[in-house]
Amino acid sequence: MYIYLPIAEISMNIFTIIGLGGAVGLLSGIFGVGGGFLMTPLLIFLGVPAPVAVGTEANQIVASSVSGVLAHFRRDNVDFKMGSVLLAGGLLGSTLGVALFSLLRELGQIDVVIKMSFIVFLGLIGTLMLVESIRAIMRSRQVGARRGKLHQHNWLHGLPFKMRFRKSKLYISALLPFGVGAIVGVLSAIMGVGGGFIMVPAMIYLLGMPTSVVVGTSLFQIIFVTANVTFLQSVQTQTVDIMLAGLLLFGGVIGAQFGTRVGVLLKGEQLRGLLAMLVLLVCAKLIFDVVIMPDDLFSVEFIR
Amino acid sequence: MTRHFFITLFIALFLSAPVSANQQLVADLDQEEVFITTDFTGAELLLFGAFDRASIDDIAIIVTGPPKTIAVRRKKNIIGIWLNTAKVDAIDLPSFYHILTTRPLNDIANLDTRTINHLGFTQIPFQLDDDNSAEIDAANQWKEALIRNMKNTGLWANRNGEIKIIGDVLFRANIEIPANIIPGKYKVRTLHFRNGIVVNENISSITVSKTGLSALIYRLAHEYSVFYGIFAIIFAVASGWMAAIAFRK
Repeated sequence: MYIYLPIAEISMNIFTIIGLGGAVGLLSGIFGVGGGFLMTPLLIFLGVPAPVAVGTEANQIVASSVSGVLAHFRRDNVDFKMGSVLLAGGLLGSTLGVALFSLLRELGQIDVVIKMSFIVFLGLIGTLMLVESIRAIMRSRQVGARRGKLHQHNWLHGLPFKMRFRKSKLYISALLPFGVGAIVGVLSAIMGVGGGFIMVPAMIYLLGMPTSVVVGTSLFQIIFVTANVTFLQSVQTQTVDIMLAGLLLFGGVIGAQFGTRVGVLLKGEQLRGLLAMLVLLVCAKLIFDVVIMPDDLFSVEFIR
Repeated sequence: MTRHFFITLFIALFLSAPVSANQQLVADLDQEEVFITTDFTGAELLLFGAFDRASIDDIAIIVTGPPKTIAVRRKKNIIGIWLNTAKVDAIDLPSFYHILTTRPLNDIANLDTRTINHLGFTQIPFQLDDDNSAEIDAANQWKEALIRNMKNTGLWANRNGEIKIIGDVLFRANIEIPANIIPGKYKVRTLHFRNGIVVNENISSITVSKTGLSALIYRLAHEYSVFYGIFAIIFAVASGWMAAIAFRK
C-alpha cells in the first residue's frame, strides 16, 4: 500500500516505512542507541530527499528521546544542571546549524555536506565500536582484566567559569559542557541526529561524568535541541514531514520494545561488533555515492 | 464502466451529426480533474475524439503543466568527490510536457511548424535567467542536460505513435499522469495536421490538485510554518510520552 508523503513529495510503501522504523527501533532497543545516525542515511537510500530525511528525523528523535528519558527520570538519573549547560550550548549550536543548512541548501551543496558528515562520523564511530568490541571479546577470554582511571585531568579542566555539578560529582568549567553541547547541536541540525553517539563518549571521557547519569542527561538535552531543530527547520526550510515521522515512530516504538527484551538475552560484544559492521556498511555505501561518477553530471530542480 | 459509456455516447453523437465538409475536430477527456490524495500513485486519463480524416492526416496531443523556473546543476570532481559547481536557472519552462502523436514528430510536420507550435522538447522556448550570462555561450549543453533530466523524472515525455486511430474517424490516447506531478492547471492541445499543416486545434484543460490529509499537511507546512513547527513538536512529545506509558512494565 502506497502513501504520498506531503513534504518529501514522493509515494512510498507504507510498510517499508513502518518496517524501517521497526528495524532501527529494534537496534536502538538492543543497543540503547538513538538510531538517528542510521535512520537518516537509510531514508536517503530509499529516495527521500536528503534535506527532508534530516528535518524529519529531528522530529522523530524528539519523540524517541521523550519516551527514553522518562525511565531515567524515574530512576533519578538526570543531571539537570549539567543538562541545562549542555542545552544552552546545544540551542546555540543547532540554531547556527539550521542557518548553515539553509544556506547550503540554497547553494545546492546540502546533499553532499549531509553525506560527507555521515561518512566522517559513521566511519569514526563504526571503527571505534568495532575495535572496542574486538578488544572486549579478547579480554573476556583473559583473566583479571585491567581497568584504567575514571577520568584524567588535563588543560581542559583549567578553563574559567567553574561550576559545581553535584549529581555528576564534578567541579569543571561550564565552557566545557557548553562547547560540547554547541558542537553536537550543529551536527544535530545538519545530520538530523540526536547526537548521543558523540555526546555520550564526550560526557564520559571529556567531561568525566559518571556513566550512571550520562544517558539520562544526554537524552534530556537532546529533546530540547531536536525540538529546536524541528521548529527552525519547519520555519526556515520546510523539510519536516510529519506523516513520515509519524509512521517511522509507529514502527520505532514497537521495534524498540522488542529490542530491549531481545537485548537482555543476547551477548553484548559480538552484537556490538555486528552493529559496528552495519554502521561501516552504511558508511561505505555513502562513500560510494559521493565518489563514484554519477550517471549524469547534471541534475534538475524546480525552484520557483 | 463510465469510460466506455462515454465513448459509446460520443461515437453515437458524432455519427448522428454528419461531419461537414470543413475539416472538423472534436476531442474530450474522460476526466478533467486529478486529485493527489494520500494514496496517489499516478493516474491515467483517456482523451478521445473524432476528426474527418484524409489519408495522410495526423493528430498530436500536447499536455503542458504550470510554468516553473528550473535550476540545472552541473557536478565536477573535486579531490575525489562529485560536487555541484555550476548552476543555471531556466525560466518559464513547462513543469510538465507530454507529447503524444500518431507518427514520429519529424514525419508529421516540418521544423517551422514544430517551432511555431512548440512541438518537441527542442522546440520549447528555453530562456536562461539574467544572472546566468556567463553560461549563455554554452546554453545548448544546459538545454540538452535539462531535457534529458526532465525525461528521467517522467514529467517530460515524447510518446510517438501512441494515439490510436479507429476506423479513420475516431482517435483515442491515454495521458499518463505520474506520481510526482505538480499541482496546477494543465493545458491539453489537440492538433489536427494535414500535409504537415495544422488545420484544426482543440484545447481543453486538466486541474491537478492536492487533497485530503497530504494537502492539509503541505499547506500548513508552507503557509503556517510557525504553527506547523510547534505542532510537530507537540505531536512528537505526545506520541513519545504515550509510547512510554503504553509499554511501561
